[in-house]
Amino acid sequence: MALQVSDHEDAAGHGAEQGISNVILGMILFICSEVMFFAGLFAAYFNVRANSPIWPPAGNEHFHVANEIALPLVITTLLIISSFTCQLGVWSIRRGDRQGLIRNISVTVILGVIFLIGQGYDYTQLGFTLADGTFGTTFFTLTGFHGAHVLGGVLMLSVVLYRATAGQFSAKHHDMVEAVSLYWHFVDVVWIVLFSLLYLLPTAR
Amino acid sequence: MATTTLRTSTGYRSGLYEWLTTTDHKKIGILYLANSILMFLLGGIFALVVRLELAQPGLQFLSDSAYNQAFTIHASLMLFLFVIPVLAGFGNYIVPLMIGAPDMAFPRINAFSFWLLPLAAIVMLSGFATGGGAAAAGWTEYSPLAQAKYEGIGTDLWIVALLLIGTSSILGAINFIVTIFKMRAPGMTLLRMPVMVWTVLVTSILVLMATPVLTSALIMLFIDRNLGGHFFDPATGGNAILWQNTFWFYSHPAVYIMVLPAMGIISEVLPVFSRKPLFGYKAFIFATAAIGALGFSVWAHHMFTTGAVYLPFFSFMTFLIAIPTGVKMFNWIATMFRGQLTFSTPLLYAIGFLTMFLIGGINGAFSAAVPVDFAIHDTYWVVAHIHYVLFGGSVFAVFAGLYYWWPKMFGRRLNETLGKIQFVFMFIGFNLTFFPMHILGLSGMPRRIADYDPNAGWNDLNLLATIGGFTIAASLLPFLWNVFITFRSGEPAGDDPWEGNTLEWATSSPPPPYNFDHLPEIRSERPVFDARHRATHA
Amino acid sequence: MSKPRPRLPRRARNLAALVAVAVLLAGCAGLEPPAAVTAQGQDTRNLYDLVFIVGVAIFVLVEGLIIFAVLRYRRKPTDTELPPQIHGNSVLEVIWTVIPTALVVVLFVLSWQTLNKVNAVSPSPALTVRAVAAQFQWSFEYLAADGQTVQYEQLAPELDLPVGVDVHVILRSKDVIHAFYVPKFLFKRDVVPGRENNFDFTIDAADANQTFRGQCAEFCGTFHSTMLFSVKALTPTDFNAWLQGQIKAAAATPAPAPSASGGVAATTVELSAHNIAFDQTALQAPAGQPFVIKFTNNDPGVTHNVAITDSSGQQVFKGEIFAGPDSRQYPIPALAAGTYSFACSVHPQMTGTLTVK
Repeated sequence: MALQVSDHEDAAGHGAEQGISNVILGMILFICSEVMFFAGLFAAYFNVRANSPIWPPAGNEHFHVANEIALPLVITTLLIISSFTCQLGVWSIRRGDRQGLIRNISVTVILGVIFLIGQGYDYTQLGFTLADGTFGTTFFTLTGFHGAHVLGGVLMLSVVLYRATAGQFSAKHHDMVEAVSLYWHFVDVVWIVLFSLLYLLPTAR
Repeated sequence: MATTTLRTSTGYRSGLYEWLTTTDHKKIGILYLANSILMFLLGGIFALVVRLELAQPGLQFLSDSAYNQAFTIHASLMLFLFVIPVLAGFGNYIVPLMIGAPDMAFPRINAFSFWLLPLAAIVMLSGFATGGGAAAAGWTEYSPLAQAKYEGIGTDLWIVALLLIGTSSILGAINFIVTIFKMRAPGMTLLRMPVMVWTVLVTSILVLMATPVLTSALIMLFIDRNLGGHFFDPATGGNAILWQNTFWFYSHPAVYIMVLPAMGIISEVLPVFSRKPLFGYKAFIFATAAIGALGFSVWAHHMFTTGAVYLPFFSFMTFLIAIPTGVKMFNWIATMFRGQLTFSTPLLYAIGFLTMFLIGGINGAFSAAVPVDFAIHDTYWVVAHIHYVLFGGSVFAVFAGLYYWWPKMFGRRLNETLGKIQFVFMFIGFNLTFFPMHILGLSGMPRRIADYDPNAGWNDLNLLATIGGFTIAASLLPFLWNVFITFRSGEPAGDDPWEGNTLEWATSSPPPPYNFDHLPEIRSERPVFDARHRATHA
Repeated sequence: MSKPRPRLPRRARNLAALVAVAVLLAGCAGLEPPAAVTAQGQDTRNLYDLVFIVGVAIFVLVEGLIIFAVLRYRRKPTDTELPPQIHGNSVLEVIWTVIPTALVVVLFVLSWQTLNKVNAVSPSPALTVRAVAAQFQWSFEYLAADGQTVQYEQLAPELDLPVGVDVHVILRSKDVIHAFYVPKFLFKRDVVPGRENNFDFTIDAADANQTFRGQCAEFCGTFHSTMLFSVKALTPTDFNAWLQGQIKAAAATPAPAPSASGGVAATTVELSAHNIAFDQTALQAPAGQPFVIKFTNNDPGVTHNVAITDSSGQQVFKGEIFAGPDSRQYPIPALAAGTYSFACSVHPQMTGTLTVK
């Protein structure tokens, strides 16, 4: 990603005013580092999963989380919808529509909060804890760190919302909105991968 | 330009508050350097403690436990709080100047990155104040030894410290990459960037891709230790090798993080003091990128003896790394050939780097040959290897850089005589300390042992290494004295004391806030050289 | 910039160069591993020698080029014009990329071939031993032909092996990662909990009746440096006699009773162990009458005992080996006056003297 930008700059010979803004490039790089962070956690997950004779491991029927999939499915849907509302907000401010931005980001924040509450409630219903074998450890570590990232995203979106209500964004100046939306999409994609692994493909080897 | 010295006294003595709150990349760079050198001295004291205990067989000064803490904290300080940050410090100071930028892309994040480091140092060292002492399972903290049933809270503090340092590194890397891609002056194309900037760029990409994996490993270890997790302890269903894989996935690229910017410093110093351009600029950049890329595929060569890795692949990739490294070595030497060498202190350190790093490369190739690695792994041979790379390599480059850029940073030159005395002592002390370790390793002395059999034939060489260690320590006294007298009454440097090539020499010493009043035209990787010689030869 | 260089540092630099060269030359002489005592170790040694020759050749070439450049291309006072501004030379650069590439490929292929020999495992080894590592001691289980049944467990860190035949070693850890390392085998392998590493070797017949030092090479905790062991090479005949003798002795003595009935009024000598060390290194006991050593092991999970050896090296008493924290009363038979040494069988570096008078 970054290298494409640079090629573009090279052609022009000087690129300070060209290409994407510092903030957006910085966010893309930050997301790259986050991808590697989750890659480390996923590597651990696949490792313990491959080392286990059956998956989920025997001994705790609650490990079959796919059996109680209703709530996770609902909050997953909400999170995916929130990605769309977030993008609608970005498109609004690109047109200079501040009210549209505020409206869409508000919905996004609310959906994010509902996701967090839903996940927190789901934790209490699971019937196993982080200390219950490699399954519990990887399940809670992966979903927990994803949850922390959702929380981070909600906080960032709240700052966007605050600044939007203060009228600080316009069609020309809204790099922060673009950057935060990228982050929110990333968090969403991570969840789709997680949800597929933990709920939809629970027994595949 | 005659006001240079005046600016020194007004611009850089504006109070503690200014230094604590600054977002100027130059001041942050100097803070990085100062903090890192403090950590170098502290880590050096731990090294002396270790060497003192090993000077003769038997435990004279330390308990086994204290010894283990000493070598663990020595390595952790030197690697994570000295070598990596000191190079980031040079990058911080010099990269915006070299590309003609007014500052880093994100000045406040830059300041935040720095201030995480002293905090991390305090957290890590506070382990000594806890009942169980500081972290003691080695800087590699192999699980299961690093689990809570074996090691105390010092290890948790070590984990937290490394998380802070990792965050600092990642934010710093993002800052460098954005700065380099977005903040270059008009005319400063990628292939006109000084090699130092290229090495910082490749290093930053390594940091960006590797450090988060260490972060995840550290968090998993923390969960194992404190929340009842089961990642790394086979006794509870985990996998001990998993820790090594994730740890080395970071820590091998980290070796290049610790050495590439050092190579960048050398690539700036050698051309200036040879009065020639760097030989094979493009090949050098390609080699840097190749080292960065290959650096991700060799981590398991630290794990040949675990029996858990596919040996031929990692052996081959490790051998391959020798090629771009060799290319660089030949480029440096060819730069000196037919040049006009001026033996100022920076060049001495650069030549010290070449001679010592060469040994560090050759003795590393022994470990790439897997059966030989079976013999020398985890012995003092490996201790010799890492120090030839990171001390003979990186530390010598750090001093080359300090003597080279000091005039730019402070407007005064460090004393050359003291610098050369320091070099001689450091060079001799370094070889006395670490060369005997090859022989110790071959004859079977494992690393990380607090005591050894007096009949194993290791007594004399260990004593020699200890004498060498204290010689290195002694070599730092002229350096500290040099810094002291230079601040008090150093020789004013002028803007361009070395006839430099790159943009930092086109501004005043020290540079004003936002760096440049005007920039020379940039038509090659040596704009200041071009300007000087266009002027004289026009 | 063009000031004359001060005299002293230059002389010092030359001196430094001399010292460095002297040190390096002296060092090179010592840069060889010990003579290998196994067939596999010899293969490794041959590979080492090859890499060493290549390494020294590169070292001499490159270091020579550096020294030549430093001596030849000093800036002279007459150098006012710039030297030729050479930016590169494609032919040279290709040469010094291609030659090292060829070199490392050759080295890789040769090291791979050696690796296959060193790592080869026989389907029918003459002897299978399981080395068990724990903080901070080694024990060795001699397995029967089925590779499962433990015939004899050697609790002392002494690995007796036959020469000239293929020996298979299985590694097992009870706690953290250790490493089985015998310098004269030019070999080590990690002892990783949760996995059983194994390897084969054949000790040269010529090295019978020698003892080789072994040591844990992977940092394993506080007393890592105490995890020593020794490998004793025996002729196959001697080895079989030794092994059968040990099996018989283990079957005959049903673990000595902990607090055997000593004389009621017998002298009791107290001794304890902590942090892989005895609390006293000099004990005294009366001559000509039995006495009791009350031995307390204060190292949790670590096994110790007390064994007494007379001045001729003959073992006169060996106490039961047990894990701490615990204690035992060792009944010692009557000893003639003289000086004896005592040691822990599990940690031979734990020693002291016993004066009987």
